[in-house]
Amino acid sequence: MKLKPPINLAWIRFTSCSGCQLMLLNCEPSLAELARIVAIRDFPLASSTLGKNAEIDIGLVEGSITTPSELERLLAFRRKVHLLVAVGACALTAGVNSLVRGERRQAMTKVYAGQGDDWNTFPPQPVAHFVKVDGQIPGCPPEPEELLNSIGTLLNGGWAGHQVMPVCMECRINENPCLLERDRAPCLGPITLAGCNARCPNLGVPCEGCRGVVAEANRDELCRLFLTAGLTDQDISHRLERFGETT
Amino acid sequence: MIRLVVDPLTRVEGHGRVELLLKEGRLHDVKVRLLESPRLFESLVLGRRYDEVPDLVCRICAICSAAHKLTSLQALEKLMAIRIPTVAAVLRELLLLGGHLQSHALHLFCLILPDLCGTPDLLVLLQRKEPLAKAGIRLKAFGNRIQEIAGGRVVHPVNPVFGGVVYNPDKQLIDDLSEELRHWQACWPELCQQFLQLSNYPEACPVIGQPLATGLQEAFSLNGESLYYGEEQVDSSDYAQLLGERSRADSHAKDSNGQAGPFLTGALARASLAAGRKFRFDMPAERFGMHGNNLAQANEIGWTLRRIGQLLETLRQADRSEPLRATLKQANGGVGTAATEAPRGLLIHHYVVDEWGKVVAADIVTPTAINQRVMAAQIMTDLAKEKDHERLCMVAERIVRAYDPCISCAVHLVKVENSSEKGLSCQKRSK
Repeated sequence: MKLKPPINLAWIRFTSCSGCQLMLLNCEPSLAELARIVAIRDFPLASSTLGKNAEIDIGLVEGSITTPSELERLLAFRRKVHLLVAVGACALTAGVNSLVRGERRQAMTKVYAGQGDDWNTFPPQPVAHFVKVDGQIPGCPPEPEELLNSIGTLLNGGWAGHQVMPVCMECRINENPCLLERDRAPCLGPITLAGCNARCPNLGVPCEGCRGVVAEANRDELCRLFLTAGLTDQDISHRLERFGETT
Repeated sequence: MIRLVVDPLTRVEGHGRVELLLKEGRLHDVKVRLLESPRLFESLVLGRRYDEVPDLVCRICAICSAAHKLTSLQALEKLMAIRIPTVAAVLRELLLLGGHLQSHALHLFCLILPDLCGTPDLLVLLQRKEPLAKAGIRLKAFGNRIQEIAGGRVVHPVNPVFGGVVYNPDKQLIDDLSEELRHWQACWPELCQQFLQLSNYPEACPVIGQPLATGLQEAFSLNGESLYYGEEQVDSSDYAQLLGERSRADSHAKDSNGQAGPFLTGALARASLAAGRKFRFDMPAERFGMHGNNLAQANEIGWTLRRIGQLLETLRQADRSEPLRATLKQANGGVGTAATEAPRGLLIHHYVVDEWGKVVAADIVTPTAINQRVMAAQIMTDLAKEKDHERLCMVAERIVRAYDPCISCAVHLVKVENSSEKGLSCQKRSK
């Protein structure tokens, strides 16, 4: 269904770095155009308009869920939002927040020196563990074009087509030298979802997998290549788990 | 007793709220609550390889991601006694300055300008085709472009790595930046006027807090080995003692209040310390109070543009065949501390690494954690005589906004509350 401007847009943010929201504000050349078709109903980082009970056409969610009060806010948000889009690694896989190992209470005690005991928190969860998610935009941070394209296609009643190939393919299209072969670098390009036009490998930086894993990824082969390149088991699992992957 | 609650604070980074307690119609108590959820970064880096840390900790905060990444790299490089090549140092400083430019422009034009124009946000101003708003976001885009060229990505940069940087950007890109820089240097003095007018800000009292900053050795800079306050100076590795950062039984906070404090950090603190050291920095008049931080940021943009010009010139003349990255034969253990002036003030990263290169302890002190102590006191002083409820809420929010707080960053140290008590909420209006 095509939506009629002005579209009511809201951003809600949970445990995260504000990077996904900032990426929208970083689309500077398109902000004026966006202002023409979108009415902000809730976006505290950018606006003082708070649409407490307004119906929302498009609701964007940043961050992972780590406390009961965040869960309450998420459920209330879902009820008033027509289309809910999870944005960024934290919302999709819980992101780097979930790297805290072992007992969470213990970690709280370490960081807050014994003073965080009465804080009600649980291991970070992706948004989709609790509510229906209508669309996903991956990345840490998401690519600005992808954010704009997704909002634009939603306005027209559709959903922007997903990439299905790995970053590795984009690298080949761009004719980059393979960092895994050349530098024996722990590049996650072979198993990571494309869509960033191989941003990091283009610059000679190995892919860290921030867009999440591609369907039918060959993890075994990648692990074998990493072992041959001289990485230890622990190095490999640390590399893979940064954005929610396991060996 | 009446309780006014501004929740959530808008046009600030992160989730926070202000509670104003009124007794007999006058302000009796103020609480600034930071409501972010725990992220436990200091815990999640434990047991990881030292060179993985910068990629993780930059995710503390998007707006300051360059500052976090660079400060952690510096602390770890100091720890392993490794010197990075000159070109790498220049590119890193360029990245940091790009971050400053984008952060200050974001604060002034997207978060403060709507207050000066009486609108709820910048988008409304853009709709009205306000020329100042349009120019402001173009300046912000310029800061982002510098970050993208020097760092590889606007948020969470990938170019800086342990030992240096991965790549040196094409000469053409550097030339393009120089050209755009000339435009901004020419028009900034005119563009910043709006932020320098006293009549644009609420009446204010003198600023509370002892200014604290690093990077004031020979000239004004964003990096340094020492921390400065008043006439004093201490080594940055003694930060914990200076900030008196200790857990207290009566608070979940690691309290940042050493004997010399409470401290104030950020652009205004930098400006006042620089002026005291005769670095010829323009200081806002005292009558601006904390809103002088907006002026200080505007002045700092001028300095940033000049400094970027110097760095671009150095890059153009640099020998492109020189190495960009120093290599380390073997990781060694030790303790490393680094201090940087992030856009919002003093940022400290401190690590302990064992002989196998694994992190065994980490401590991160962020600007908003340092500033949190003075925020409530400043609101209390500025609004001591105010009686109108709506104005109380509006001005309190503007005072917090003037600090340019970054609550995602601050959540590492400060007292964070997770309560859902309801108070009398303030009606928000655009004016």
